[in-house]
Amino acid sequence: MGEGGTYRLEVRGHLGDLVGHSFPRMRIRYKNGNTLLVGPVRDQAELTGMLQRFSELGLSLLSVTALDEPRVGS
Amino acid sequence: MVRRPRLEHALETGADATLTLVAAPAGYGKTTAVRAWYENTGGALAWVTLDAGDNEPARFWTYVATAVDRVRNGLGRRALHRLRSPGMAIETAIDEIMNGIAEYGHAFTLVLDDLQTVTDRDCLASLEYATAHLPPAARLIVLTRADPALPLARLRGRGKLAEVRASDLAFTAAEARELLVDRAGLDLDGPQVGVLLKRTEGWPAALCLAALWLRTVEELDRAVLEFGGDHRFVAEYLSHEVLAALGADQRAFLLRAAVLGNFTAELCDAVLGRSDSSAVLSDLEDSNLFVLSLERREWFRVHALFAEFATARLALVEPTEPQSIHRRAAAWLQSRGLVVEAVAHAAAAGDHEVVAEMLSNDHLGLIRNGRSGTILRWARTLPDGVVIEHPDVALAAVIAALLVGALTRERRRFLLLARRAKARYPERFGAYEECVMAMVQSAGMDDGVTEAVVEGYRAVELARRSVDASLVASLAGLARALYFAGDLEQAWSAASRALEHPDAPRRPPGYAVCRATLALIAADRDHLTVARAHADAARATVGRISSSRSWLGAIAAEAVGAVLAAEGDLAGAERELAYAERFVADDVATLDHAQLLLRLAEVRRRRGRLDEAGESLRRAREEVDELADSGKLPPLVASVARALDDARRQASVGEILELPTEAELAVLRLLATDLSAREIGGQLFLSPNTVRSHIRAIYRKLGVSSREDAVARAEAMSLLAEAQSPR
Repeated sequence: MGEGGTYRLEVRGHLGDLVGHSFPRMRIRYKNGNTLLVGPVRDQAELTGMLQRFSELGLSLLSVTALDEPRVGS
Repeated sequence: MVRRPRLEHALETGADATLTLVAAPAGYGKTTAVRAWYENTGGALAWVTLDAGDNEPARFWTYVATAVDRVRNGLGRRALHRLRSPGMAIETAIDEIMNGIAEYGHAFTLVLDDLQTVTDRDCLASLEYATAHLPPAARLIVLTRADPALPLARLRGRGKLAEVRASDLAFTAAEARELLVDRAGLDLDGPQVGVLLKRTEGWPAALCLAALWLRTVEELDRAVLEFGGDHRFVAEYLSHEVLAALGADQRAFLLRAAVLGNFTAELCDAVLGRSDSSAVLSDLEDSNLFVLSLERREWFRVHALFAEFATARLALVEPTEPQSIHRRAAAWLQSRGLVVEAVAHAAAAGDHEVVAEMLSNDHLGLIRNGRSGTILRWARTLPDGVVIEHPDVALAAVIAALLVGALTRERRRFLLLARRAKARYPERFGAYEECVMAMVQSAGMDDGVTEAVVEGYRAVELARRSVDASLVASLAGLARALYFAGDLEQAWSAASRALEHPDAPRRPPGYAVCRATLALIAADRDHLTVARAHADAARATVGRISSSRSWLGAIAAEAVGAVLAAEGDLAGAERELAYAERFVADDVATLDHAQLLLRLAEVRRRRGRLDEAGESLRRAREEVDELADSGKLPPLVASVARALDDARRQASVGEILELPTEAELAVLRLLATDLSAREIGGQLFLSPNTVRSHIRAIYRKLGVSSREDAVARAEAMSLLAEAQSPR
């Protein structure tokens, strides 16, 4: 079961200040017209909750990456 | 509203399917589409909008039965009656609902809206059962933002599933044109409609927002062009623009109402200091976007999509305003007796003192109504200092953590805070607090069985003298502690006394624990009818107030499992016990968990699954070793271990000396069923005497002395499987 750590979430389009306000702990960057949210996620429950919020806001999720997940075999 | 015949057609052609799934994110017009289809089709309609509070089969189906009954008085009556009676199996209630629908005799549509809020596995399993038992003239339409955990692939494969998804619900160019040009009266050409459609990807909520906004702009062409070229998130862009275009008064109202979540006109009047909220709301409701009226009469909410932006905007413009709105809302809701809603606002306002006071005042009602999760949610928002100043909050949180289950550490943390409260503010520790403190210490059994019994007697004594409110719970705690101490006589008498309390059934947690304890004792003594009645009552009581996925649910499942084991239904017993074990297992050793593991070990041994039995026993032993003063558990560990050793020895010797004959195997196969010896004879055309002598031979050859052990042993040696496979 994946636990907490730093995650990178990519959603379609530019999220402005107001949406940033909804995810205050995430750093927001833009790339190719899409938005990257990078920041700490406590556990799977918080991550699931964030994904749910995206869906409620009608945001399309493009990718989720656990940044400090150890690589297999290392 | 734009008419969308293609969606109505899609829903209509789904009429042959059992289940129609309308799945899309917020703002795709799921509800609107289904309503529009229904208005053209007619027939009977039962519509249930679910929320996260409905994650309990009994509650879930009560809503459904009520909605069915509303179609025609009486259709849901039998189901509702079943749902209220103790010991009912949820399938029976569902059958009655289906009977009611079938009785109606004409086309009948059952709609479950917002199904994404239902995640409980038991609920979904019961829904799966319902799907399989829907009468032919009925159809089930499910509206959801996320695909439910139902066997959709199987239904799809059989052609029993119709689907309307986001790609179907998205506006086409023609529909967008109708909305923007024909309805909103905007002077847009084809390419401009195309820009809007592309930018919004046909998302209906965004297109409606766009229509509202474009009606207010001066230079239409430029607005469309800028919108098309902007990369901002489309809903944010539009919310911003639409808000800017509203009148100052409407805007102020909306931004504040959004903070409230769900609200009534009266609440708005009270919180926003106005008297015309009702008129403003009906204006806004006409715009069909900002404000939705809920099925609970007179309650509204701002569209979720829009609420998010409105709340964030208000926080940016007037940073202190959200807090004071929450504060006023909490006061108003409390004055109306809407405690749960009130506490939510007080917590959102960060008013720890208010949250603590409301919890103190209302914790008993919340516990008895199965709202332990709610208590914990609010208690967790409070700093330690505030909890210590309110001993009742600390104690309520201890009880709540116990009832929810697998929260041993958190329960102990709140218990520690209660002790510090007692040391710091002895004057706030009255008879009630003393009694509850003793009760939670006996129920939690943290300091060993002996101490738990002592505290239990103390709690009962205090309760009897002056704290009637916690008498049933105190007796429940005492009965359980005595059961663990191995004093079945006294345990039985304590639990029985609790049931004699005239108010006992209206205090479900304590009542359920007493019933479950009586079931365990009766099962130990082989009083099966009595045991079964108590276990069923325990389960029904839990089902009425809280999720079965809790400590309380586990206590009921343990009782049911113990009764099934005593009745000889070992597979059923293992299922119940394994279920219970999941909700009691914690990262700390507990007596509850150790006892469940021992029961599991015993049932698995009897089923001949010796390795799994050994594993359960090993884990039980580990926990018991960690616990000091664990009452009857150490001797129980020893006796379970002995029985397991015997079984292992037999199995290894057990290459039995003499295999049953073909005739005996035929009898053995039927011993695994519910048939009596006489009926077995009937099936095999043997006289009862012959059957009896075969059974004796089987017992002798397998080295067992009872029917269930014979079956278990035969299973372990794969005698049954071989016999059954050729058929």
